[in-house]
Amino acid sequence: MTVVGRAWNRLSLPGKLFFTLAPLLLVTTIAVIAILVIFGQLIVDFLAANLPIVRFVVAVTAVLLMSVPTAFLIIYMEMKVIALMNLRLGPDRVGPYGSLLSVVHGLKVLMKEDFTPTGVDSIVFTLAPVVVYLASVMSLLVIPFAPGLFGQDLNVGLLYFFAVGGLSVVGLLMAGWSSFNKYSLLGGLRSAAQIISYEIPLTLSVVGVLILAGTMSLNQIVLDQRGSFLDWFAFKQPLGLLIFFIAATAEANRTPFDLTEADSEIVAGFATEYSGMRFGFFFFAEYVNVFIMSALIVSLFFGGWTAPFDWPWPVHIELNPGGLGIGLLILLAVAPVVGTLVLAAPFWVARSSMPAWQALIIGFVLLNLLIGLGLFALAFLGWEWVVGLFWFLGKTYGFVFTFVWMRGTLPRVRIDQLMGFAWKWLLPASLLNLFVTAGAVVVLGR
Amino acid sequence: MTIPEVIPIVNVRWDDILFLILATVMIGSALLVVILRDIIRCGLAMMVCFGALAGIYVIAGAPLVAATQVLVYIGAISVLVLFAIMLTQTKAAPARLVFQTQAVPAALAAVVLAIIIALAVGSTDWGAAGTRVRTATDALAKVLFQQYVLPFEIVSVLLLAAVIGGVFLAKRDEGEPL
Repeated sequence: MTVVGRAWNRLSLPGKLFFTLAPLLLVTTIAVIAILVIFGQLIVDFLAANLPIVRFVVAVTAVLLMSVPTAFLIIYMEMKVIALMNLRLGPDRVGPYGSLLSVVHGLKVLMKEDFTPTGVDSIVFTLAPVVVYLASVMSLLVIPFAPGLFGQDLNVGLLYFFAVGGLSVVGLLMAGWSSFNKYSLLGGLRSAAQIISYEIPLTLSVVGVLILAGTMSLNQIVLDQRGSFLDWFAFKQPLGLLIFFIAATAEANRTPFDLTEADSEIVAGFATEYSGMRFGFFFFAEYVNVFIMSALIVSLFFGGWTAPFDWPWPVHIELNPGGLGIGLLILLAVAPVVGTLVLAAPFWVARSSMPAWQALIIGFVLLNLLIGLGLFALAFLGWEWVVGLFWFLGKTYGFVFTFVWMRGTLPRVRIDQLMGFAWKWLLPASLLNLFVTAGAVVVLGR
Repeated sequence: MTIPEVIPIVNVRWDDILFLILATVMIGSALLVVILRDIIRCGLAMMVCFGALAGIYVIAGAPLVAATQVLVYIGAISVLVLFAIMLTQTKAAPARLVFQTQAVPAALAAVVLAIIIALAVGSTDWGAAGTRVRTATDALAKVLFQQYVLPFEIVSVLLLAAVIGGVFLAKRDEGEPL
């Protein structure tokens, strides 16, 4: 055996991985840089000339990619928050405060056996989770995240949202029927009945907002609520907000309306026969739906990405690093070293037991943190969309928290109470809201 | 350098290609609705057909009609049809029975439908229909609620009557067991 072979055998698994991946990464990087240098200008010109198409493709990809981390985040939030409400610890093993547990969950779901029971209609069985997930991801496309940061500004945005969101019912029915199991079928029918019933008050309660805003584009509705928090539609449409919130809870299958998958009482409803990643798609879609419903409540009633008070930013910051000339180079070379030393000094002085290298590491980490914070603050102050995204996500996760809170607090309703409530109370209330809003607009003007 | 509006070699516009694809999907799935032996799959193929039609509406510049198509035809009507089938039929039951029991009325209906379609195609000015206009929501609302408000209201009353009739038929008598 050669020297290289012996050295290779002595490596641990991570070492082997590193020594295979590192050269590969190096070669790829060089190739990409070379391609960029040679064809870069051409590519940029081509993309810039076809900006609408590029924008659309990027938006679709971004929406698809962001849906999975969103689901992970909400799953972790639910585990941790409900645990704290139940006086438990919740996830605390994987990652800091157990924050990587949902990633491990995802990997576990990926590695499970993808089982197809006998007698199922395999095409429909496979397509059902795809339809459900697709409906969730496609409805993300019209939500305005920040000024200029939205998938597509459709002028029928809200109608598109409800149309595409309604497709998930088809997926549920497909899953329930194709499983070849009467409990799955019953579960699918139950959840379809629930979602169809609650879609009607959900859609009707929004019509009041539409009358006030005079447009169906979600972006325009958000722009209409600019100013202080008194301009939010929540104050002009309190009944609409209440109905929408209740119906959205039922649409997203959350407690107290989570009869579709009442985890402590029945089997998993339409998803009984599903395992592995096919089940994972249903699971993810449910949590993406929680995010979407919260985002829609925020966009329609709580001003979307607008700030609740007169926000003095963005300010225009004059930064011209090139003006320093050769000083910039010296600053770039010296600043990290000096910064690390300065930040490490107090630790080294204050704790005599700490070796110098530990203090240096602490200083380096602190320096990076400071620089990161500084950059974030600059972006926050200087770019409107960073501020907008900040407010939007803040408000949205506030509502996600409310949904989680409700799950930790409220008991579940019965199926007859659920259906009766939708048809006998929510529907008349949303019609009343519609008539009162229309009358008020006619009498008072918009 | 933008992507040319006409595909270079075959000399076809991009939206024509899209239209052809959608039309193929639509006709193919419409055929599947008739051909497939499994009634639920027929229903699902019907949804695909409606979805492709919505895509054609988008190409024709009527996004509102497309969204309504998806909302009403896929989200409500097809789902209700599937719902009814699933409630009344199990997969183990013979699905064959529902087919081909009314060949003569079906043939008559097909002939009448073909004549109506032929008349409609013959009387349309295709040169004017070819130009693509984007219909804005408010323009549509103005036409619907000013010019054609009476037909609109009549249709609403008709639908309401149908709903009340359905409720009346499905209502249980007093004291009748569940």
